[in-house]
Amino acid sequence: MPEYKVEVKNLDLFYGDFQALKKINFTAEPNTVSAFIGPSGCGKSTLLRMFNRMNDLIDGVRFTGEIYIDGKDVFAKSVDVDGLRKSVGMVFQKPNPFPKTIFENVAYGLRVNGVNDKHFIEKQVIEAIKKAALWDEVKDKLKKSAMELSGGQQQRLCIARTLAVEPALILMDEPASALDPISTGKIEDLIFELKNQYTIIIVTHNLQQAGRISDYTAFFYLGELVEWNKTKIIFTNPSDIRTQNYITGRFG
Amino acid sequence: MTHIPNELNALKLSLLEMGNLVINQLVKTKSALESFDQELVEEISRNERRVDAYELKINLDCENILALMSPVANDLRFVLSALRTNYNLERIGDYAYNISILVREIEKPIDAECLMEMRIPEMFNISLKMLQIMYAAMENDDAVQARQVFKKDNKLDEIKMVSNRTAADLIKRKPDEVLTILSLLSVIRKLERVGDQTKNMAEELIFHLEAKVLRHAKRKT
Amino acid sequence: MTGKQLKQSLVFNIFRLISLSVVAILFVILGFIVTRGIKVVNWEFLTSMPKDQMTHGGIYPAIIGTLCLIAGSMVFAFPIGVMSAIYMNEYLKESFLKKFIRTMTNNLAGIPSIVFGLFGMALFVNTMKFGDSIIAGSLTLGLMALPVIIRTTEEALKSVDDSLRIGSYALGATRLQTIRRVVLPVAFPNILTGLILSIGRVSGETAPILFTVAAYFLPKLPSSIFDSVMALPYHLYVLTTSGTNVTESRPMAYGTAFVLIMIVLILNLLANLVRRIAGKKTKMN
Repeated sequence: MPEYKVEVKNLDLFYGDFQALKKINFTAEPNTVSAFIGPSGCGKSTLLRMFNRMNDLIDGVRFTGEIYIDGKDVFAKSVDVDGLRKSVGMVFQKPNPFPKTIFENVAYGLRVNGVNDKHFIEKQVIEAIKKAALWDEVKDKLKKSAMELSGGQQQRLCIARTLAVEPALILMDEPASALDPISTGKIEDLIFELKNQYTIIIVTHNLQQAGRISDYTAFFYLGELVEWNKTKIIFTNPSDIRTQNYITGRFG
Repeated sequence: MTHIPNELNALKLSLLEMGNLVINQLVKTKSALESFDQELVEEISRNERRVDAYELKINLDCENILALMSPVANDLRFVLSALRTNYNLERIGDYAYNISILVREIEKPIDAECLMEMRIPEMFNISLKMLQIMYAAMENDDAVQARQVFKKDNKLDEIKMVSNRTAADLIKRKPDEVLTILSLLSVIRKLERVGDQTKNMAEELIFHLEAKVLRHAKRKT
Repeated sequence: MTGKQLKQSLVFNIFRLISLSVVAILFVILGFIVTRGIKVVNWEFLTSMPKDQMTHGGIYPAIIGTLCLIAGSMVFAFPIGVMSAIYMNEYLKESFLKKFIRTMTNNLAGIPSIVFGLFGMALFVNTMKFGDSIIAGSLTLGLMALPVIIRTTEEALKSVDDSLRIGSYALGATRLQTIRRVVLPVAFPNILTGLILSIGRVSGETAPILFTVAAYFLPKLPSSIFDSVMALPYHLYVLTTSGTNVTESRPMAYGTAFVLIMIVLILNLLANLVRRIAGKKTKMN
């Protein structure tokens, strides 16, 4: 077994002439939550999208360096990108359920990956919805449109959708920023629960959220990974003055 | 948020454990003073290090909760009061330890009559009673119980007020015991401080539960 | 009221009047056609052949002809239009090729319809030897409808929130799976709008069918796609301008116009209904 779930080595990334990531080195242990924090445009979301190669969809991205997930090189020629995206789940800022039924939303990942066994799909869907702490709220309306759910429920549905394909790693890009405090609390509780089974990397602008849910926090600034440590240490005794200025809100 | 209540509960348990330890320290100190038991003094000294360790741990826990969980309202007051209660308990632990050191420094058991005349056992009993009431109040989040502590503290203050007079009389009757009696005066001062610290803890609990600041307030008794 | 406010309310009232007058014009046209046309429209008018030099009888073959042309042109233009729109919007990155295709599509839309007719005659009727036939007419009309379908389909695809595509990719779906399972179902109601618009355009055109399919007088139904047919707009033209007895057949012309309008209207309503039902299922919040 590789020691780290995720390992980033000397990653440089350019959008055209603009260097968005500078010599990033980062690792995440299994069953931990890592939070990426930093001002807008600092590169944290860009790095997140490297893990499932979402940046492939953007023109003019060049990079050097390596990323390993479970010891496997994400950028190796032999890697099937769709397969990689199946094993690296992603939850986005705005809940983006498909305009399908609740059941079909969660089954989607299985179906597009060639699973046809009805019983297996049903089992996975129910299990995923339960894991996403949504079961009690939707068990009687699995055939209803996902659009009828509230924002917070939709976001948990999106998490369930990701869980159904049993990812090795879950990426979350500000998953609660569009939600009210109650829904946010539920998502945070859920992340806390999911940590027992999954490794999670979350981008957040909400420092309190990073504090509450993450084991490790990485602070990015101008494409640089300025500091990365146990969340406790980052929040009580950061070693870089830029980190200190950012988390105390005294930036610039 | 399920994990904030968990963390706060753990903090409360730590405080209660520390409280229990400190009460035991005071019980042992009383008994060491009465029985001239040097081994007990050693035990108290060992436990004093445990009290200090508790203080550091609770301090760190509070720091983490404040830094990571951003508690608010009732939760925030609890963490703030826990920080100060932690300090109060540690001080009480110190007083108990310092009193017990006395037993190590003297050569013979303390004259029982002097102890009684100076009302030392009585003071011990009152402050222990206060601590026990405080422990229960903290355990049950009971502000009414906490308020009982104030009256008892007045009793300690009274005893201390008359202690110089008592000591002077006693020295006249027992000039040989003058050193012991002077030492006992310092014990009285310490026990009175124990009462003050316990009273502070009661104020902290009331702050936590009712958001009322009683420190420096003139209290009707 | 201050002078500024007065000026503002004056200007807006003028604007309001002008926009209401557009509606008025529509009602005047409709009223004109309906009041004159409805008198001759009855079951016989709809289901019988024209007779007595088109001054009596019905317009049955023209109705059928127009319906054939609508169906034929859509069978040809709809899949091609939708497919090229998908290619342009979903696969093609912003590039010279994309800009080129888009510009050319717009140019195609700007070509006068009579030129389409001429081209259709040269290519389908003569070169490909289809003769004056439904297929030649449908292909010509289809060519004309293509830009509308492409453009509206492209707009429909663009209006599908990108977060849905990204969400689908993130679950390991390929582009094709994403288009088929997520993008098209969501875009479908709007694509349907494009279809309606182009049907409206196709059913009313006279010029493109003039040289490719339309018969002056043909009191029988087509038996294959290689037959020529009568068509409502051309029939209307004939009745109004070049019939043997223009005055006598005038009421027939109004009747024809009324039927043509009703066909377009009914198709519109039908498609709107389908759109609303489909839209409900895939509604975004």
